[in-house]
Amino acid sequence: MIKFIALRLLQAIPVLLIVITITFALIHAAPGGPFSAERAVPPEVLEALNAQYNLDDPIHVQFFIYLKNVAQGDFGPSFKYTGRSVIEIIAAGMPVTFELGLYAILIALILGISAGILASLKPNSLQDYIPMSLAMTGICLPTFVLGPLMVLVFAIWLEWLPVSGWGYIPGDKILPSLTLGFAYAAYIARLSRGGMLEILSQDFIRTARAKGLSTAAIVFRHALRGGMQPVVSFMGPALAGLLSGSFVVETIFQIPGMGRYFVQAAFNRDYTLILGTTIFFATLIIIFNLLADIVTIWLNPRLRDSSNSNN
Amino acid sequence: MTQSSETSAAQNLIDLDSIESGTSLWEDAWNRLQQNKLAMFGLYVVSFMIIIALITPWIAPYSYFEQDLDMGATPPSPAHWLGTDTLGRDLLTRVMYGSRVSLMVGFLATAVALTIGVLWGTVSGYFGGRVDAFMMRTVDILYALPFTIFIILLMVVFGRNILLLFMAIGAVEWLTMARIVRGQVLSIRQQEYIDAAITMGLPKRQIMLRHVIPNTLGTIIIYVTLTIPNVILLESFLSFLGLGVQPPQSSWGLLISYGVETMEEYPWLLIFPAVVLSVTLFSLNFLGDGLRDALDPKASRD
Repeated sequence: MIKFIALRLLQAIPVLLIVITITFALIHAAPGGPFSAERAVPPEVLEALNAQYNLDDPIHVQFFIYLKNVAQGDFGPSFKYTGRSVIEIIAAGMPVTFELGLYAILIALILGISAGILASLKPNSLQDYIPMSLAMTGICLPTFVLGPLMVLVFAIWLEWLPVSGWGYIPGDKILPSLTLGFAYAAYIARLSRGGMLEILSQDFIRTARAKGLSTAAIVFRHALRGGMQPVVSFMGPALAGLLSGSFVVETIFQIPGMGRYFVQAAFNRDYTLILGTTIFFATLIIIFNLLADIVTIWLNPRLRDSSNSNN
Repeated sequence: MTQSSETSAAQNLIDLDSIESGTSLWEDAWNRLQQNKLAMFGLYVVSFMIIIALITPWIAPYSYFEQDLDMGATPPSPAHWLGTDTLGRDLLTRVMYGSRVSLMVGFLATAVALTIGVLWGTVSGYFGGRVDAFMMRTVDILYALPFTIFIILLMVVFGRNILLLFMAIGAVEWLTMARIVRGQVLSIRQQEYIDAAITMGLPKRQIMLRHVIPNTLGTIIIYVTLTIPNVILLESFLSFLGLGVQPPQSSWGLLISYGVETMEEYPWLLIFPAVVLSVTLFSLNFLGDGLRDALDPKASRD
């Protein structure tokens, strides 16, 4: 197991290098630099600025200087937010995005798993159809449609909740978390229904029923562990997907998190901030996928044995 | 360009239909599909959308870019069924033109993904061994890349170019396709008729094109139907962030993002495009689920 984790962590290094290289190449292929937007900059000032940020070196020199700095934990200063370093901006945005992601994933897991279990207990009945059609709605309503519609209904028409913000007014965290969580609740509901159906038809469940165990005991003591496997393997990609969801949700609700910083950095051509946030997101995705794989192996003893014998 | 690519997308669909009615296996699947009401509903809605998108330039009630600032935003009325936007443009017309862009991106980017994915998966699965290991490891590495971020950067860097959008989205979506096709090919390779073809001395290329790929068609069709809504969603997502098609052109994502800006005063500008997008995504997903049940009855639902 330790060998497996170490191997996967080693594999992450080339992946990160590829990410940095592609991102670096992409933003340097762009016509116009980070300072080309401010029209009134005199040529001497522009030259001084370029020199200060090493922008007049050949591109490969810039690349290696950057790699060296990143290896030392220095992501450089932001081009647009003068006086703030990329690390400071990431450190400010990260807790916000993590909190939003945490609420969203909790909502998704609680709603999704309970809907999935309910549906799987009585397949092809109303108890199955109602949660599953709700789930279909969740999948087909993209975040950028669901978010504004919820704002329209709950914030503007009913005036129950604030329109935007994060932690300014009580209750302003509810709509963003629901918006981000709902789509994942839908996927998780479908996956846990499928997983549970498969487990519930197996012999050991029939034995448990024959013993006279209650439905609750069967579900929680026997079926849940196996039935949740599809959900667990979905969690890695889901957490990664939450990040791109956070681009939209943070933009709609004006939340000062990483997603919004990334989108703004891309529009502003803030080179160092783009690179910093990209590396940050890529690292997160790699970690989430690794965690999902570890949990999958841990949940399934058959895989656990084979991963040991292979290594 | 717009014209010819759209007709070729439609052509592909027609070809698939004619294959479906060709053999008994496909007839069987078609009969099963017809019994699935939701899937048939999806099929009708999608066909309706495609036809409307194709003939929009001839039937659109107004021009999609001409503004009437004196009129401004008006709620739905007999003259403008879905109302008008803040610049006085007819919303129905803009939604219709938007469907051309959204559906075209959906079909063409899926076609790009389909071509790369099927070739990659077939070659990898058929040759096996070291070739397979190398090709699948490449897919694994690419999977780990944050593609949404790359697409956003690509759009920012090279401008909002529709052609680039196809390529970028296709470049992301082919990965899953390659994995699925490879799995199929691995099992088809074990079949006796492939041994027979090898014994008869058919060249590898012909075996792949004539025997292997046609037998993966069922799986591919299912996956294509489920990829198209994903692609449409991705395009709308980019347009929503302001990175997709550029005004005065319209796409569903762009209309929704305008709708959001003015939703307090003119909610219909948000609601109608949102409904059209969602209904389309619904229909494609229902159709995909139905096709899966019809073409692969053994596979468990979900």
